[in-house]
Amino acid sequence: MLEHQLIQSTGFRNVGPAGAREGFALRLRLPNYHGTRLSLFDGVDVTVDGEFFPREKNRFAIRDELYTLEQLRAQTNAWWGLFESGSVLVDKPGGLAPGVHKVEVIARIRYSYFPPDVHVFPTRAERYATIVMP
Amino acid sequence: MSGSFKYGVSAYSYVEDFGSVMTLEDLFDHIADTGATGIEILGEAQIEGYPHPTPAWIDKWFRLLEKHRLEPTNMCSWVDMRLTVSHNLTVEEGAADLARDLHLAHRLGFKFLRPKFGVLSHDLIPDSNWEGYVERNLDLAHRYGIVICPEIHSPTPIRHPVVEGYVSFIERTGTKNFGLMIDSGIFQDRPLTHWGSHQVTEEMRNHMGFLNGIRVNPEHLLDVAKYVVFVQAKFHDIDEHLEDQNIPWRPVISALKRIGYSGYLSSEYEGLRSPWRSIDQVRRQHVLLRRLEREFDAQEMSHA
Repeated sequence: MLEHQLIQSTGFRNVGPAGAREGFALRLRLPNYHGTRLSLFDGVDVTVDGEFFPREKNRFAIRDELYTLEQLRAQTNAWWGLFESGSVLVDKPGGLAPGVHKVEVIARIRYSYFPPDVHVFPTRAERYATIVMP
Repeated sequence: MSGSFKYGVSAYSYVEDFGSVMTLEDLFDHIADTGATGIEILGEAQIEGYPHPTPAWIDKWFRLLEKHRLEPTNMCSWVDMRLTVSHNLTVEEGAADLARDLHLAHRLGFKFLRPKFGVLSHDLIPDSNWEGYVERNLDLAHRYGIVICPEIHSPTPIRHPVVEGYVSFIERTGTKNFGLMIDSGIFQDRPLTHWGSHQVTEEMRNHMGFLNGIRVNPEHLLDVAKYVVFVQAKFHDIDEHLEDQNIPWRPVISALKRIGYSGYLSSEYEGLRSPWRSIDQVRRQHVLLRRLEREFDAQEMSHA
């Protein structure tokens, strides 16, 4: 099963070839109380140790698919289910150093049943999370 | 004396625990152990692989219902009006989404389906296409014996154009397959400290005044008595003395009894989401509601 908190401990790791890391991945559980069409999920801003990575540049991986924010917004027939994790992929040449990092996220869902001006609802979470391997 | 309530629990009560520290099997166990006879789910949450669960999942669903002697009550669904950032659902697309959920609800044995429609305003006026979505599905709902019931949810009170719109639809079509679901959050008369996983901040109170409670008078239930088909017993915090910190249950139960309501009270815990807190909160609510119903009935008897 998933960890209770939004930002998962496992899955926080560097990505790309060893020695030439391209960035890092951060695993999340669904930031919503019910499964969500990917077109309603509006990406994740990530901040690590004060460095901000905007959702427009981050990609999102779920199951065997990888999406840009624009691609996510067009996925009307794929869902993020409650039992599934998804990973935010963040470009950062060299990756993150092994050790404990302060990680903050803002994940947005577009709710049709919220009033128009507040229908993009942000869920915020922050925690310390650990990169193990360089 | 009016009929008795039926007691159920919505799986929504355990959101965040569910899928992390609670399996589907655990969920059934917790619900059945309250003495409830009905289980309510959110289609997109509890049904693994929604909208196309595997035959194995469906077998498990029926096995668990039988083992725990629970009946499916209401399935919550959504009609995602703002489908993409640039495309809103057409009537045909919305009707197809609603049909998809009616098929699924029927397949799993549900008798109520709550669609959440897209809204256009802060008092939750629904996109006018809702009427088209529903009207195109009334025959299907009739065939399945399912009542489609949008919820009257804070900040929308009972005396409001949203409710009037639903009532005139029922009157115009004469349908028995559309009714009102009442979410007891509309009766909340004290402020929330937690709204699900969100700690309520001053900023949230400014944007969402309803978090302080919209204080609908429970007597207004008498206006819509014949249209109420389901009650989601929304609550947030019940202390160890069985005092609900937000919802005034005594007048709510009294009004529900006096309109002759004999359907489900389906617990919907929406308070602090610390792991496992919901489980005992739901148990407390069941003691509280059953006690108030008994007290009302005893008082009726003594007046008879």
